[in-house]
Amino acid sequence: MRKLSNIDTSSDSGGKRGRSVLALTVLRSTVVLAFMALVVAFWLLQVAQHDRYLQLAENNHQRTVALTAPRGTVFDRDGRVLVQNRSSLNISIAREQVDDLDTTLRQLAEVAGVTLSGLQSIVERHRLAPAYRPLVLIQDASLAQVAAVSARSVELPGLFVQELPIRFYPGNEVAAHLFGYVGEVSDDQLELPEFNGLRSGVAVGKAGIERAYNRLLMGEDGTRRVVVDSIGREIETIGERPPMEGRQIKLTLDYDLQQAAEAAFEAAGFNGAAVVLDPLSGEILTLVSRPSYDPNLFALGIDGDAWTELNSDRHRPLNNRAIRGRYSPGSTFKIVMAIAALEEGVVTPDFEVPCHGGGTFYGRHYRCHATHGTVGMREALEQSCNTYFYSLGEKLKIDQIHKWATALGLGGVTGVDLPYEVGSLVPSTTWKSERWGEPWYPGETISVAIGQGPVSVTPISLAVMMAAVANGGTRVTPYLLEAVDEGEGFLPVPRPVPKSRVKLDPVTLETVTEGLWYVVNRAGTGRRARLVGRDVIGKTGTAQVISLQGRLAAVDSSRDLRDHGWFVFAVPAGKPELAGVVFGEHNEHGYLSAPIARHIMETYFAKKDGRPLPVPGLPEERSSNRLFETANQ
Amino acid sequence: MLEQRLYRHIDWPLLLALLILCVIGLTMIYSTTYDPLEVGVSPLVFTQACALLIGMLGLGAVIWVDYRWVADSVPTIFVGLVAAVGYALWFGTSGGGANRWINLGIFNLQPSEFARTVVALALAALFSQWQRGPQTVMGWLWTGLIIGLPFMLIAQQPDLGTAVTLLPVAFAILVFAGLPLRYVSILVAVGIMITPVAWTYGLEDYQRQRIASFLNPEQDARGAGYQQIQARITVGSGGALGKGFLEGTQSRYNFLPVAHNDFIFSVLAEELGFLGVVVTLSLYLFVILRGLDAARLAKDRLGRYLVVGIMAGFSFQVIYNVAMSAGLAPVKGLTLPLLSYGGSSAIATLVAFGLVLNVRMRRFTN
Repeated sequence: MRKLSNIDTSSDSGGKRGRSVLALTVLRSTVVLAFMALVVAFWLLQVAQHDRYLQLAENNHQRTVALTAPRGTVFDRDGRVLVQNRSSLNISIAREQVDDLDTTLRQLAEVAGVTLSGLQSIVERHRLAPAYRPLVLIQDASLAQVAAVSARSVELPGLFVQELPIRFYPGNEVAAHLFGYVGEVSDDQLELPEFNGLRSGVAVGKAGIERAYNRLLMGEDGTRRVVVDSIGREIETIGERPPMEGRQIKLTLDYDLQQAAEAAFEAAGFNGAAVVLDPLSGEILTLVSRPSYDPNLFALGIDGDAWTELNSDRHRPLNNRAIRGRYSPGSTFKIVMAIAALEEGVVTPDFEVPCHGGGTFYGRHYRCHATHGTVGMREALEQSCNTYFYSLGEKLKIDQIHKWATALGLGGVTGVDLPYEVGSLVPSTTWKSERWGEPWYPGETISVAIGQGPVSVTPISLAVMMAAVANGGTRVTPYLLEAVDEGEGFLPVPRPVPKSRVKLDPVTLETVTEGLWYVVNRAGTGRRARLVGRDVIGKTGTAQVISLQGRLAAVDSSRDLRDHGWFVFAVPAGKPELAGVVFGEHNEHGYLSAPIARHIMETYFAKKDGRPLPVPGLPEERSSNRLFETANQ
Repeated sequence: MLEQRLYRHIDWPLLLALLILCVIGLTMIYSTTYDPLEVGVSPLVFTQACALLIGMLGLGAVIWVDYRWVADSVPTIFVGLVAAVGYALWFGTSGGGANRWINLGIFNLQPSEFARTVVALALAALFSQWQRGPQTVMGWLWTGLIIGLPFMLIAQQPDLGTAVTLLPVAFAILVFAGLPLRYVSILVAVGIMITPVAWTYGLEDYQRQRIASFLNPEQDARGAGYQQIQARITVGSGGALGKGFLEGTQSRYNFLPVAHNDFIFSVLAEELGFLGVVVTLSLYLFVILRGLDAARLAKDRLGRYLVVGIMAGFSFQVIYNVAMSAGLAPVKGLTLPLLSYGGSSAIATLVAFGLVLNVRMRRFTN
């Protein structure tokens, strides 16, 4: 069978041969040219553009992973831990390692005791995220859940446990407004210089101390440079900058007093606010706002339902009443009136007014809540006689009242080191013309004299006022940050300078102090705050929520129209250690707020003397005095 | 049968160059399949070594028999090829959406890898009858059958890349066989004209996408353009002297898919750098020019056509794969002969070179 090759053995003709040689030359040249082109191309890629591609290759296989820095621990003045971190365990899934997602989810739901639909909705929500990026399926898993998943690591590939530092508030709702809470930095916040340079998604302080001292508390996230493969799995670590924990800070807060105040509110059964200061320094010992919330809810990223619930609650638990609630000061404003009148010299301490259950000023009759007969300033304070203070209002100009209210702490913000403070308002002629474009009518001063009309103050500003009365005229700036640990132990931070300082006349101080001592220690409205041997001074007040006419008009409204009750106090008279305010929301009577102040003061002295701390609401605390139950409206 | 005289005429330099390329290939397969977490050498390296050994034995066996004897059996060989390709298409093992393989128990055989050589052999045998190409209708029909049948079957698998490699083989033989230049021009013109038709009706979506993404890889950086971009990064990051053996990050961390197969030259460029590229390309160029030398020396048309067909197919595949491995050509499932992992390719290539050596060493015999 040599059929084919037999035909071929004859040699080629000359022309054929020449064409073959030509074709071969063309073929060879083509190949050589192609190879030269390839060499040039490789030279361009490998030599000319090498740097660029090397960079691209590194970007390919190296990633920087953020290591979350724990926030700094917060201590109270005695070194008790108020806010700390705990490690939270998340059960996550790497979908790229899971063959059958449905089965894995079903098994996880079973062993971890969670609903399958919940897991499925999480996966569905992140359907478009890259498969190598872990999804958190169970946030803050219990140890039992972690153990259950770890024990089934073979049956449940792709599930793993991640550890993350999470803000932890051991006291839950105690002092929640003071501490604030953390959350993911918002886009708006990122625009602020304070949050400059943060990457989105990091946890920052959103309220309270967490917000005010965010920079100190935050620390610095670390980074880890890792080599990853094409599906994003970490192969090895090639460099690490460990996270720097946030600074530890120490607050002026006395957690015993804070707890006592909260417990007393609990026992009293109403909401409100309380602020207790060291009247000489402005240190905040207690700051309460109720109802409260649990800041731990925010630590893991609050879920939508809980957020809606907190926000739509008619009691507005997120609102820090102590610094953001503005209320009519009621009779507590009479302290300012007394000081203004004495300091301006419009009356002397012996000035007396006959009270016939009210009086006529500028042609209009103003009521008192009782018929007090002829009273001097001390008795007028003691019995909260409106007629007496109407008379002072008649003698004082509104700008004089404004001046002294401001000097004592009721004008504008107190400057406390907490965010979002609202300023107090005491009217003046300037304010009236700017706000309303009208002159101040002297008749309006009569209402202001008993703390009504356009006077509205925050609880904390009343605490500052009481501190100024107690310390003789220094408007201290309340503050919470006592010391910062930069790594070498706690170093005290400079105390904020007082907003203003006036030297009150000793006679003024003596008169007012005596009147306020009567309020608590004689037949006054503050008897429930009396502490034997402690010389408590104080004053009750009622903040009208709505006028009498308004009340009649709004009778069908669902709003709570009951009055608020104030009690401002300081102790001991002459050498003050505490000054503060208790605000009882809709508790109707200032004297009902006094027991809370009493419990705080009693706790303070018990702690100071080394006695067991009192329990709120015990019978001995209720120095019941039926006579005065209706004394102050 | 292998006389002393013939033995002397074996092209030892070509054989040596082939051997060196095989060793480079094995080394690079070792590198691309190297896993620091695993003890020992990847089984792929052994498989490839076995295939190369079989290929060398095949090469030796082909040298023994006069290529004219081989050409005599071409009808049988051709029918065998068509049967094997058809079997793979209808009964074969599928992988990556294509039926290319026949499971032989020990390994999977890809018959289409032998198509180039068989088509070259068949065309050479056919054309050696004529002085100036096919002059009759019957001649053209045979030519069309020899090229068209394997082409259609392989394209149906679908493996358009391998099917297309038949075209340079056929084209080169047609030109060498004295096909008048006007026919050559007509062929080229027809080829250009059917391109849009083929684009619309002949290509699958993924194939169109590959070509589109070649023209604009960034547009689809995560999809079809991914391999091309990664290939360029792999090559470019290698630099002049490379990252060093086993130090390539692109293949180690799987950024470059099928690195041990279609993209082995990218890895070579990454680890051994421009220097390694130049050395390897020089070896390939030497092999091609030296192989073509056999066509010049061939004593008959059969030998010349056979060598030209084989070398044209080989050159086309080498140039295309190297260009693709630098992201300079659309991604096709084309191996780099002698370097890429793949037993069928290695055996087919070595056997083909057996034929080339065969033609050269028998240039003086009758």
